[in-house]
Amino acid sequence: MKLDTSGFETTMPTIGFGSSNDMLDGFSTVPSFDLPRTTDFDGFQKEAVQMVKPAKGTTTLAFIFKEGVMVAADSRASMGGYISSQSVKKIIEINPYMLGTMAGGAADCQFWHRNLGIKCRLHELANKRRISVSGASKLLANMLYSYRGMGLSVGTMIAGWDETGPGLYYVDNEGGRLKGDRFSVGSGSPYAYGVLDSGYKFDMTVEEASELARRSIYHATFRDGASGGVASVYHVGPNGWKKLSGDDVGELHYHYYPVPPAIAEQVMEEAAAE
Amino acid sequence: LQIFEYNGSAVVAMVGKNCFAIASDRRLGVQLQTIATDFQRISKIHDRVFIALSGLATDVQTLYQRLVFRHKLYQLREERDMKPETFASLVSAILYEKRFGPYLCQPVIAGLGEDDKPFICTMDSIGAKELAKDFVVSGTASESLYGACEAMYKPDMEAEELFETISQALLSSVDRDCLSGWGGHVYVVTPTEIKERILKGRMD
Repeated sequence: MKLDTSGFETTMPTIGFGSSNDMLDGFSTVPSFDLPRTTDFDGFQKEAVQMVKPAKGTTTLAFIFKEGVMVAADSRASMGGYISSQSVKKIIEINPYMLGTMAGGAADCQFWHRNLGIKCRLHELANKRRISVSGASKLLANMLYSYRGMGLSVGTMIAGWDETGPGLYYVDNEGGRLKGDRFSVGSGSPYAYGVLDSGYKFDMTVEEASELARRSIYHATFRDGASGGVASVYHVGPNGWKKLSGDDVGELHYHYYPVPPAIAEQVMEEAAAE
Repeated sequence: LQIFEYNGSAVVAMVGKNCFAIASDRRLGVQLQTIATDFQRISKIHDRVFIALSGLATDVQTLYQRLVFRHKLYQLREERDMKPETFASLVSAILYEKRFGPYLCQPVIAGLGEDDKPFICTMDSIGAKELAKDFVVSGTASESLYGACEAMYKPDMEAEELFETISQALLSSVDRDCLSGWGGHVYVVTPTEIKERILKGRMD
């Protein structure tokens, strides 16, 4: 059964209709990827899904509060047990007033967020007004739905501020799209939820909210092996997003739980005995 | 399910001038979740022989208890402590007894033998001894540890310098491994004293 997707097409005309304009071909329509030429397509698809392994070793979170949306993430990339990087940017700047978080396959998230940014800009040019957070998340969700079952691994949150106020949506590779006030995505999300849910109040100041976000990420990096590195915190307000902090989680631990310094007398005694 | 990577561990031992150092991480996890940050992996058999076990935590504890029992029996019969080479052979034999249902751990043994000559060796889970003159490593972070030790090791280091070297090698290697770390535990043993130190590491 072929789904009728004509409603999903954008209203703006394809530029260079019929002619082969390499620069714009990829943007104006659904990017078409070559399908693999294999006798066993289903088996290949199964292997492709396993390759990226939608385990989503990461911790990202976002929540709406009185002053806007707070978005935070860790910065570790892991390949099985090996830490491949401690400095990955998991909060993607789609445009100056919208942020996306990365969980799952890094390549998938980076590509599709950039693609979304392009689509949002084209919408602005065609309609002479900014796209809403609801609209942007829907564009992404529909795109991911059309690749369902092919092994994409994307667990993202779209956070932004539009005419209706702060907006937060969760979008994943299954094509799911949820509107909500509080989300956490990734292998460290249970730990982050624990701290976030117990400390959350709608009426928080920006400082209180950013401290809550930072603490939640810190606790997730402590307990979860696949999260770590730097806890980045961003705030999305009526004038767009602003990066608030990027603290190394190793140092945050000793900031929250300082080690009592060793007593000086002991050291003096040892020297005297020699 | 990779059984050797279920709990996560990192162990390294290094030889110095008439001394040795043995170090391990302190994390106990269940796959990605961290359960404890003070797990004891290094155990003293007697004042001049230490064993550190990496791998499945339950086998680490059970095997350690069995080895302590065998050594106490040896002490009663022979009225002296075991030499490190003898102890290594004992561990190897005990592991091979379970050839077709092995203990899922890889021991690292370090000790001071005759004339205070340091001795280190490692084994796989069925008792294949690997003697080395410089350093031995074991655990989920072993590949990183090999690289770090190879780069940082120098022969005939004194106790203080050996401590610095082994600590830096351990901390930099576990910082590249999701499943080990959360602090470090180092023993530096010379003929006259045993120095135990806890390392402050990244807790992520």
